[in-house]
Amino acid sequence: MKIFRQVTASLVAFSTIVAACVFAFVVVVTFVVSAFRGVEISAWNIVTSQIARWYLLWAGVYVIHNLLPIAVAHGRTRREFLVATSGFSVVLALAMTLVAWLGFLAEGGIYTLMDWRADEHGTPLAYFLMFLVWCTVGMFCAAAFDRFGAGGIFSVPLGLALVIVTTVRIPGSGNLPFIRNIPSLLGSGWHVMSVAAFLIALAGTWAIARDMPIRLRTS
Amino acid sequence: MFDDRSPIYRQIADRIKADVLNGALKADEQVMSTNQYAAYYRINPATAAKAFQQLVDERVLYKKRGIGMFVSTQARDMLRAQGRETFFGEVVDPMVAEARAIGIPLADVIRRIEQHENGDV
Amino acid sequence: MRVDVSGLTVRYGDVTAVDDMSFSLSGNKIYGLLGRNGSGKTSLMSTLAGYRRPIGSVQLDGEPVFENAGAMRNVCLVRHTPDAADKGDKVAEALNFGKAWRDTWDDTYAHELVELFKIPLRTKVGELSLGQRSALGVVIGLASRSPLTMLDESHLGMDTPTRYAFYDTLLNDFMAHPRTIIISTHLIEELASLLEEVVIIDSGRLVLQEEADVLRSRGTEVTGSASDVDEFTAGLTVLGSKSLGRTKAAMVYGTLDDSQLIRARQLGLELGPIALQDLFVHLTEPVGGKR
Repeated sequence: MKIFRQVTASLVAFSTIVAACVFAFVVVVTFVVSAFRGVEISAWNIVTSQIARWYLLWAGVYVIHNLLPIAVAHGRTRREFLVATSGFSVVLALAMTLVAWLGFLAEGGIYTLMDWRADEHGTPLAYFLMFLVWCTVGMFCAAAFDRFGAGGIFSVPLGLALVIVTTVRIPGSGNLPFIRNIPSLLGSGWHVMSVAAFLIALAGTWAIARDMPIRLRTS
Repeated sequence: MFDDRSPIYRQIADRIKADVLNGALKADEQVMSTNQYAAYYRINPATAAKAFQQLVDERVLYKKRGIGMFVSTQARDMLRAQGRETFFGEVVDPMVAEARAIGIPLADVIRRIEQHENGDV
Repeated sequence: MRVDVSGLTVRYGDVTAVDDMSFSLSGNKIYGLLGRNGSGKTSLMSTLAGYRRPIGSVQLDGEPVFENAGAMRNVCLVRHTPDAADKGDKVAEALNFGKAWRDTWDDTYAHELVELFKIPLRTKVGELSLGQRSALGVVIGLASRSPLTMLDESHLGMDTPTRYAFYDTLLNDFMAHPRTIIISTHLIEELASLLEEVVIIDSGRLVLQEEADVLRSRGTEVTGSASDVDEFTAGLTVLGSKSLGRTKAAMVYGTLDDSQLIRARQLGLELGPIALQDLFVHLTEPVGGKR
């Protein structure tokens, strides 16, 4: 519980502050752009559907690559740590979804006020699952690279496949190659695929990190 | 602080004995604790404890349970008696050997000792 | 805390760092783990701290340590680049992990030590000098107050006054809070008097485990004319020898009995003790020489 509390408290707070700063930044940018041309897309949508997921990926990498050795060095087991960070990934994804949604609400208000047009964005559930999978895929790939060195590269194709699954339900983040129709046929049922992707990434992380040696930090 | 060439506890014990002999430590006076010795000389407390144990075995020190170590009443006399036993063998004989090696006649050595006795030096 | 190692092997690919090692430490002492570079010290301590899964068995107070939450709580290993201090974190943040994650952590003491070693709290760990980073490792190791605390080459980059402050701090904290402390070091001479017991390893194998004071009395340097020295040392364990003209000095390992002492006197041989560091050098394989 100690690990979960500490990681969640520090990283969720940090991530929220980062998000707030980014939001303020895009609002300013939008106003600047509006001086030259009409606003037709939601700037916050670009951030949440294109950029935020990379941040979540980083958070996953950070947790495994940077925090796991600290936890073991402070007498915690990998199991305790993985339990804590599995829970953390869900909380962080939830928190970021909430932040994204608050952002949309605030932005929507501004857009209405300024009479700007915004494009379509995904449902909170789609965002939540996207954030969750990107975060756990970050954990998975970090574990693979930490454990197998350059051999971790083999985790990348799987990681890529898992994260692409989640972007299907997010407008403006690209369609799947080859199987364009299937996701739309499945409709919201596609979310099950995202949940599966999350579980696969998490299981992969556990399998690799469960008895991973803590290597010397190179200085 | 230590030459690392003989067991440290023996060196510590020798220092305490020297303090008793020269009167720095008096009969029934409490000696510092093992931890104080350890910190002062930067040695492992077990080593200091070993020195104290040796001194207790030799009856130079005695233990008061829960209080500490004290110099035994007879310690100084005992150490002086032991010193007298070994004095000629350990101090005088090597000195004579040294004097011979560097060519000082023993008569000169004796004269010097006599000066000490008369308080001329 | 009692430590039992049995049949321990650590391999990295084809390299065997620790080779079927077995020993026990009764605990609550300061142990010196001595070995040359690459002798397996860090690998050994890493398995003691549950950093890697052991081949063989590693038990602390009778409990296997790897992924055992109860046993892990009681261990702290600080390697020369501290694992508990991420390069990107500020010193204060690095200490906060100890405070948050370790039950036995003494935060007041940690901050006293940071002040003693003059480590800037607002600086990132990666920007500290090597000596400061080593000192931070010592802070984490001591403030953890773990029943088993291991410091691996903690003196690296420390200047002499800092090293002496480290020795004093270590000793005082050990006396105030007795626990099992294992220190690995190259500076044997400086640290020797702090050690109660010594474990010497070489090429991943145990060479000897002995009380430091006993070990010191084990070595004797025999000096005299070459033929006499050779006669006297025949049949004894000779660790090494050197000659100057007709004079020869041989390092003998093992306690000499009375008849041997008498024989030495008859031959006019000079007997002297050997420093721990010299014993160590001769007990482990010499650089570019034969054993």
